Amino acid sequence: MQNKKKSNLWKYCLAIFIVFIHIIPIYMVIGLAFKSPYDHSSRWVLPGYFYLKNIYTALNKSGMLLALKNTILITGLSIILIVVIGAMAAYPISRNKSKLNKWIKGFIMGVMMIPPLSILVPLYSFMADVGGINTYWGIIVALVTFQLPTSIFLYANFISTIPVALEEAAAIDGCGPIQTFFRIIMPQLKPVTASVIIITGVFCWNNYQFALYLLQSPKVKTVTLAIAGFFSADAANMNGAAAAAFIGILPVIVLFLFLQKYFIQGMVDSAVK
Amino acid sequence: MKKLVVTMLIATMAIASAGCSKAPEEPKTETTETTAKKEKQETDVTLEFLYNLNGEAISNEVQAVCEQFTEETGIGVEAIMPGSNFSDIMKTRMASNQLPDVWTTHGWAVARYAEYLEPLNDFGFADHISSSIEEQITDKDGNLYTLPIDMDLTGIIYNVNVLEEAGVNVDDLKTWDDFNEACKKVKSIGKTPIQMGGKDSYTFGNLMDFIAPTFITNEDEANQEALLDGSFDWSKWNVVVDQVASWNAEGYFNKDAVTADFMTGVKALAAEEAAFMFHSASGISEIYVQNPDTEMGFMPLPAREDGLKTSLMTGEHFAIGMSKTTEHPEEAKKFMEFMAREDICAKLATKCGMPSGLDNVESDTGRLEPFYEKYTNNAEILNIPYFDRKYLPSGMWNDLCVTGGTILSGQDNATEEAVTQMKNSYEEKKAQE
Amino acid sequence: MKVQKKAAINLFYIPAIVLFLVFVIYPFLHGIRISFTNWNGYSQTMKFVGIDNYVRLFQDANVRTALVNTLVYGIASTIIQNVLGLAYALFLNTKFKGRSIVRTVIYMPVMIAPLIMGYIMYFLFQYDGGALNDIIMLLGHEPVDLLANSSAAIAIIVMVNSLQFVGVSMVIYLAGLQNVPNMYYEAAMLDGASSWQRFKHITFPLLMPAISSSTILNLIGGLKLFDLVMALTSGGPGFTTHSLSTLVTNQYFSAQSAGYASAIGIFAFLLIMVVSNVVMKFFDKREVDV
Repeated sequence: MQNKKKSNLWKYCLAIFIVFIHIIPIYMVIGLAFKSPYDHSSRWVLPGYFYLKNIYTALNKSGMLLALKNTILITGLSIILIVVIGAMAAYPISRNKSKLNKWIKGFIMGVMMIPPLSILVPLYSFMADVGGINTYWGIIVALVTFQLPTSIFLYANFISTIPVALEEAAAIDGCGPIQTFFRIIMPQLKPVTASVIIITGVFCWNNYQFALYLLQSPKVKTVTLAIAGFFSADAANMNGAAAAAFIGILPVIVLFLFLQKYFIQGMVDSAVK
Repeated sequence: MKKLVVTMLIATMAIASAGCSKAPEEPKTETTETTAKKEKQETDVTLEFLYNLNGEAISNEVQAVCEQFTEETGIGVEAIMPGSNFSDIMKTRMASNQLPDVWTTHGWAVARYAEYLEPLNDFGFADHISSSIEEQITDKDGNLYTLPIDMDLTGIIYNVNVLEEAGVNVDDLKTWDDFNEACKKVKSIGKTPIQMGGKDSYTFGNLMDFIAPTFITNEDEANQEALLDGSFDWSKWNVVVDQVASWNAEGYFNKDAVTADFMTGVKALAAEEAAFMFHSASGISEIYVQNPDTEMGFMPLPAREDGLKTSLMTGEHFAIGMSKTTEHPEEAKKFMEFMAREDICAKLATKCGMPSGLDNVESDTGRLEPFYEKYTNNAEILNIPYFDRKYLPSGMWNDLCVTGGTILSGQDNATEEAVTQMKNSYEEKKAQE
Repeated sequence: MKVQKKAAINLFYIPAIVLFLVFVIYPFLHGIRISFTNWNGYSQTMKFVGIDNYVRLFQDANVRTALVNTLVYGIASTIIQNVLGLAYALFLNTKFKGRSIVRTVIYMPVMIAPLIMGYIMYFLFQYDGGALNDIIMLLGHEPVDLLANSSAAIAIIVMVNSLQFVGVSMVIYLAGLQNVPNMYYEAAMLDGASSWQRFKHITFPLLMPAISSSTILNLIGGLKLFDLVMALTSGGPGFTTHSLSTLVTNQYFSAQSAGYASAIGIFAFLLIMVVSNVVMKFFDKREVDV
């Protein structure tokens, strides 16, 4: 009994230490966000007063509210497309293990390895030609395309673990492939979809490089652009920047807390089988 | 292991229990809140205006002026400030031939943007371009490419109080030897002589770009020509590099010269902890924002030896060009005329705290007025263009920024490497021209 | 009949393939074309220069530095993330109160954009007023300017990247551990195996699929590292902390050598492909079926 308690104490110490290390970035952001710019105390010290001016500045001056709206819209639509197109593409890849499909899988993995920068300018020119600059659909298409490989990778691994029996039964009942996919396969993908949403959603929410070039008009500005604008070269207001970062991080953390129950289960089934 | 964990815990507690900070007193500054007026846009046309002026006060003024334009003409303006990525974005847009209707040309009206800019010679303001900037914004064939709202007059900015305390009189700093002497005095009172912010690599670019002409091109036509025709002997660049290396060896730079950012420098000068900074006068307004009670000034660049003149650089600061291929040429022209109008131009130049680039416009340069009076049209001082814009092929600004960092990074052969990189890059870019 | 059905579902990947072809492959081919020119990145004119850019690439000391850094960022981060991620997972797989809070906190930094993370970490490592120096000075030492030293800066970049994304590995390993059937352990306990023996002979082999997924994902991410480097050091001092990705931007925009930058980009792609394929092959041979 004594021994067990002792071993648990050790665990708690370690747990506190780990939490301390990983909470640092968020701690810094919160400390700075709620501190006056004229407070030159150490960054470890939290403000001993209630100060909301930075949050106010971030919300008003940098158009953070508009940016939040844009980002929610862009991320939301992107996620839907990433989930649907990704799951659809993964289905034949994991069910038809033909030579062609093996090659297709390799090709999709290859897309994952292209550094986005090496195609940025040609992509911009192309988008400009088809009128995709400063539009929601332009950035959504770019985000979806670059997150599809991850989505396909996770879905393909997961679908391989679903028994084929149900589909065969459906086929005997006269279901076409489209019906089979949407009625039989899609409902079973719930846990892995949580993983796909978290992993690709975070990427879409945080994306900087595509947004920087494809969304130049302030009307379509995203959260990361707004935060980076605060941090950029001559900006003096580090506290305002931290406040903007705080506002930008909050929604994804809430989303994560909401989905994390499914998330782990989804990873169990997709990443390790 | 357990001990380690416990120590860590205690350390954490210790930091946490250091307590919370107290609310500081904030200086009362009059914040001019620009109330968003309803745009009275009557036509469907909206011009896209990309600009790259940093600082909240200036940015607000630009937005206000654009709103006024919309009110007066009914033409909408979307004024966009993309921040530090401005020139990358402009390059992408040039590459795709998708330019904004009007944009600021930040020193590159002729060398980079001319291919895409409408010559402005037929505008009324073309006759009023200040003589000290005219050459730099006009090409060989006499085409004027940009409207200079204001112009830079750049040397070294300094904190008056720090130099006073160190017993330095800037008017005595005629050569770099004098300047080094001054640095020594500043160091002896425990302050930083030269403040750098190498994380923002353009501060190194400034440093190299500001001292290079004094060693290479000032009153030396042979070198000027050699640089332009591609025959320059880059072993001469050693002088520039050695000067920086010797400041480094003497400890004249701030300790975090390589990793600090520009704002750290602004704060150091505002707090009267550093003396000099190689930055255009626009940096001074940032410093006054941090500490309105300090006293700042700027001085010409010293000469390499006795008997030669000191120099100040002039160039575009806030200058606007108009796209050759705009879909709304009439509206864009109206916008250019509006920006050049005396009251508007004066308002903008005053906000920037710089003299106007138009000779019929009076700009109120505020606390810097005495300096502009002292140095403008002073026969003792050479008026020179920015070194890289005039003598280096486009794209070499990057090399100035990077080699500055290389010299201070403390790696072996840093100085030789800096010279070699300049030489290679120059030859390669010249070969492309 | 069956064959026809199977072929029919192949149509399902057509939307994805079309997107790839239009928005990745087409621009990528365009990028390959640029890599054979001397284009400056904005002019309407460019000249074909054959393989000059590729020849230059192999002689350029800055590319060599960036190549080494890229491998260090990719491989060191992957190792740290996997070792630490596995350790965290093993730790959190034991029972104690509040472990779900610990798990959440470890995963939280993944939510922060790497660019923003870089800026935040700059607050920590900054010389002037940096949080780390506050501690160092509290202990009575001189403040240090860590980011000015290129080796230290590289180590910091690796560390920040690893600690930010260790949560991904941890979750993958937690998932993997849930898949290890308990009866194996029970049998081993009966045989008197020590905890290390149990780990080595049961846990580790059964975790192979998790190790493989985690390694591939981290490796590709690490080799493409960009935002964090830009925010922490911008590749400086000099060129010493550039990764291939950041060098591409530097050469494309700042140095105005878009042709050369494209060549570096293609080279980076080939490097990532070769390294990850080698690793994938390695794991393919070692995976154990459960």
